[in-house]
Order: sequence, then structure tokens, then C-alpha cells
Amino acid sequence: MVKIAVENLYFRYPEAAGFALRNVSFRIEEGESVAILGENGAGKTTLAKNLNGLLKPTEGSVKIDGVDTRSLSVAKIARKIGFVNHNPEHQFFAEKVEDEIRFGLRNFGFPEETIDKIIQEVLSVFGLEEYRGKNPFQLSGGEKKRLAIASIMAWRPEALIVDEPTIGMDYAQKMNIRRVLRRIVSEGRCVIVITHDVDFAATICERAIILSRGEVIGDGRLRELLSDDELVEKASLRKPFIIELEEETGLTGLEEDFDILSSILMEVFQKCRS
Amino acid sequence: MSFLRAFKYRRKDTVVHRLDPRSKFLLSVVLMMVSIMFADIRVLLVLISGQLILLFLAKSLGEWFSSLRGLVFFFAVIFITQLLFGGTFYTGIVLSLRLVALSSSMSWFFLSSTPEDIGRAMSVAGLPIELTFSFTMAIRFIPVIYDEFQSIYDTQRSRGLELEKGGFRDRIRNLMPILIPLLVGTIRRTYEIADAMEVRAFGASPKRTTYKPLKLKSGDYIVCIASAILVVSALALKMVYGVE
Ligand SMILES: Nc1ncnc2c1ncn2[C@@H]1O[C@H](COP(=O)(O)OP(=O)(O)OP(=O)(O)O)[C@@H](O)[C@H]1O
Ligand SMILES: [Mg+2]
Repeated sequence: MVKIAVENLYFRYPEAAGFALRNVSFRIEEGESVAILGENGAGKTTLAKNLNGLLKPTEGSVKIDGVDTRSLSVAKIARKIGFVNHNPEHQFFAEKVEDEIRFGLRNFGFPEETIDKIIQEVLSVFGLEEYRGKNPFQLSGGEKKRLAIASIMAWRPEALIVDEPTIGMDYAQKMNIRRVLRRIVSEGRCVIVITHDVDFAATICERAIILSRGEVIGDGRLRELLSDDELVEKASLRKPFIIELEEETGLTGLEEDFDILSSILMEVFQKCRS
Repeated sequence: MSFLRAFKYRRKDTVVHRLDPRSKFLLSVVLMMVSIMFADIRVLLVLISGQLILLFLAKSLGEWFSSLRGLVFFFAVIFITQLLFGGTFYTGIVLSLRLVALSSSMSWFFLSSTPEDIGRAMSVAGLPIELTFSFTMAIRFIPVIYDEFQSIYDTQRSRGLELEKGGFRDRIRNLMPILIPLLVGTIRRTYEIADAMEVRAFGASPKRTTYKPLKLKSGDYIVCIASAILVVSALALKMVYGVE
């Protein structure tokens, strides 16, 4: 399984005045689930693109399993580290949902016989079976996002980076995406979630890396970092509901039962109202 | 692409930027005409020096120089075709200088005028608002579409697309995953903009007022007079002194 090592990474866009990333260093071990948090323009997307070789460091290095990304093609890295753009519409071009999944598999040279089997499996895991023959552009926002993730998970990369998975999504769709991501984590794959949604991150990720103005201002266990009021404020974030709840009630391990918990709360709320 | 950099508006506060777009446009057209009229190296060099002064006043020499690097390809084409089809080294130089003069005639104008300014100058000149509006929109959306292209290209590359791979037909086919999302996005945006314009009553009244009316200032008169002098002296050089 994949290991990512970032060392003193500086990155500047061509023509930009300043650095978008400054002196970023961290390691991500196999099977870790990491949230990358930070305010708008903090450099999260830029960092993600450096991790999968779309951007190469201006200074410093990013190494995938010990190999510098400068010496690897994007396709080579993508085979190991999947990247899901925040806008799924930037990737759809096929007429049918199934062909959208087929694209990556063909690019990576999977044999035709196995491709159909994989598509079938992926569609069912991601709850997209009924849309198999539909046009991707006609799906709802949440379905589009799931298809975008599915079309990348199809070739089973060892790590997955998802940019803003919950943007513009209703609660049910969010829970669907969350289920999908948690499943990937439970398979022992590494998941890196870029988000502003701390509640979402808190129920998926063990670890958080907090960026602010291109610098890492926090790296460690997500619950510890997000309990630090000063840090949370500096990164324009908010304490996740689940942590607040645990602090209030003195209970622990609530995120394991988040689904049950939220349905209980819902019931209580409805009882109170009636 | 770097060649285009010499035509992209940069916000700066200089004498040239503050000029009225109409007088700038006049001078720009005159400079273009003069660059085409002469095949004499001395005239072209004087012309280019004049343009360099304009670019210096617009604090844009840097952009101009970086665009020269983009022109190198065209210089090579000029020299090769000249040498292949009976021209001489001398005509190669003349044509290259003319290309520099022509592109600088336009570059200082575009570098120092906002798309809105250009559009306003066009509508003051009597062009219909539909035309000028489309023109300014097109210019303004180039960077937006370029960003979108970049994002789509990155996304497809992360799905294993390799543009450099395969023969000619494969390469054409490989463009589809980039062109289709780009087109879909652009068409969709067109509808959205049309709706947004309609809800703000675009075209509802035949008579439009301008928010910032254009006004000629003393600098503009100088530019106009300079343009006139330039035309007269160019004609004199050509007709009276017979300069090529
Ligand atoms: N293509 C680009 N060219 C130049 N500068 C860029 C480019 N893309 C991003 N930037 C700049 O780099 C910085 C970091 O941007 P980035 O998109 O990585 O932020 P982000 O943390 O993902 O923000 P958001 O939460 O809004 O998505 C910003 O200041 C942005 O303006
Ligand atoms: Mg981003």
C-alpha cells in the first residue's frame, strides 16, 4: 500500500507573486484517513494536485513510495492515487454512466472481459445500478459525485483524494458519500478528504492537516486539533458537532454510531415538537 | 501562448492607460498602416523605437519582451519560406521587423485598455450594442474558459488519459474527453448568462445610457495630433521622397 512523503514543499503558480504552499512537510502512511482543512484559498486543492503529480513542487519534494513525483507521469501516479475533482462535470464526456467508468479502466489497460465485471461491481457498491444507461449529465448532484468517485475507485487505487465531496449536497446524499468513503477506509485504503465540512470530516477521518495561507498550522488527531478553539478559529473552521456533543455529555466514541445517534436526535426533536 | 501575453490587459496607472480608448485606437490603426506601408529597414526601426517609447510609458516593456520570445517561431517560418521561395536574407529581416511593428501596434493598445473601454469605444463609434457586448464578453471569458480547460485536462489526466500517446487518430480521439466537458460547460454558461442578462433587462430599452461617458482630455488631443502628423509624414516619405 502507498506511502506519501512531503518534504519542505514550496509551490508557486507560474505568474503568481507569492507561494501558494510554503514549507509543507508531512508523511501519510498506508491506510490512513486524513482530512485536509483550511479556509478558502488556503492551498488545499494546490496541495492535492501536488500529491498526485498534476503539479510538481517548485522547491522541496513529494515522494510516492519513495519515488519523487517529478520522475513519474501523472498516469503512473493516478494508478496508485486517485484524485476526484470538486466539480464532477469537469470529467463527464461519455453518453452513458457505465462508459464513464469504463474510460479509466481502458486507459490503464484492463482486459475487456474483466472490465464489464468491474463495472457491474462498482455500480452496485456505489448504488448506481439503476442509472447504468443514463446520461451522466442528467444525474443529481449527489449521484454525479458518487459516479465521479466510482469511476476512479473502479481501478482500485491504493489511495483516494477527494476535493470537496459534500459541496451543495443534501443530508441524504452526504450520508451516501460518507458511507462510500468509510467503506474505502475500511478496506485499508488511504483516504484524503479536502473539505470545509468539519462534521463530515470528523466522522470519516482519524487525522487532520490544517492549512492556513499555504502553511500547515496543525497536523495530528482530528479530534484533538478541532478541540483547540484557537486553531479552529484561525483556520475559519468550527468545532464539529460530534465533539461538542461528546464534551457536553462526557460520552466517547460517538462517531461510530453517528447514524443511529442522528436518528435518535431526530426522533427526540420530533417528539419535543409534537 | 506566451505570445498572447502581450495582448492581455494589465491594470496599471500610467499616462497611456488613462488615455481615451478612441484616441488610442486611432493611433494604433495608424501605426499598423505605417508598418504595412514601408519595406525600408530604417523606417521600420524608427517606428519600432517609437512603439517602444509608448510601451515604456505604459510600463509594459516586460510583457512586450516576453511576447517576442513567442514570436521566434514566426520569425523562423518567415526566414524558411523566404529562403525556400526565392526571397533573400534581407527580405526575411524586413518581414520579421514588420511583424514586430504590427504586433506592437496592437499590443500597447490591448495592454492598456480594459475590454469594457474597448467595447465602449466601439459603441460610441456607432456599432450596435449586441456586437460590442458580445465582443467584450468574449474577451473577458477567455481566462475563465482557459481555467476550466486546465481543470478538465487535470481531471482527465488523473483518470489515466495521456494525450501524447498513440497515433494521429488516437490523439484526436483523446481530445474528446477534454472537449466535450468544456463545450457542455460553455454552452450551459451561455444560457445562464443570457438569463442573467434578461432578468436585468438587457435590450429592454432601445436607448442606453452610459455609466462612465467617454471624454477626450488634453493627452488625447496630443495623441490625435501625433497620429495626424504620422500619417502626413508617412505619405510624404512615400510619395515625395520615394522611400520603399
Ligand atoms: N491556476 C492558478 N494560478 C494562479 N494562482 C492560483 C491558481 N489556482 C489557485 N491559485 C491561488 O493559490 C492559492 C491556493 O488556492 P487553492 O485553490 O489551492 O485553495 P483552496 O484551499 O483549495 O481553496 P478553496 O477552499 O476555495 O477551494 C489561492 O490564493 C489561489 O488564488
Ligand atoms: Mg479548493
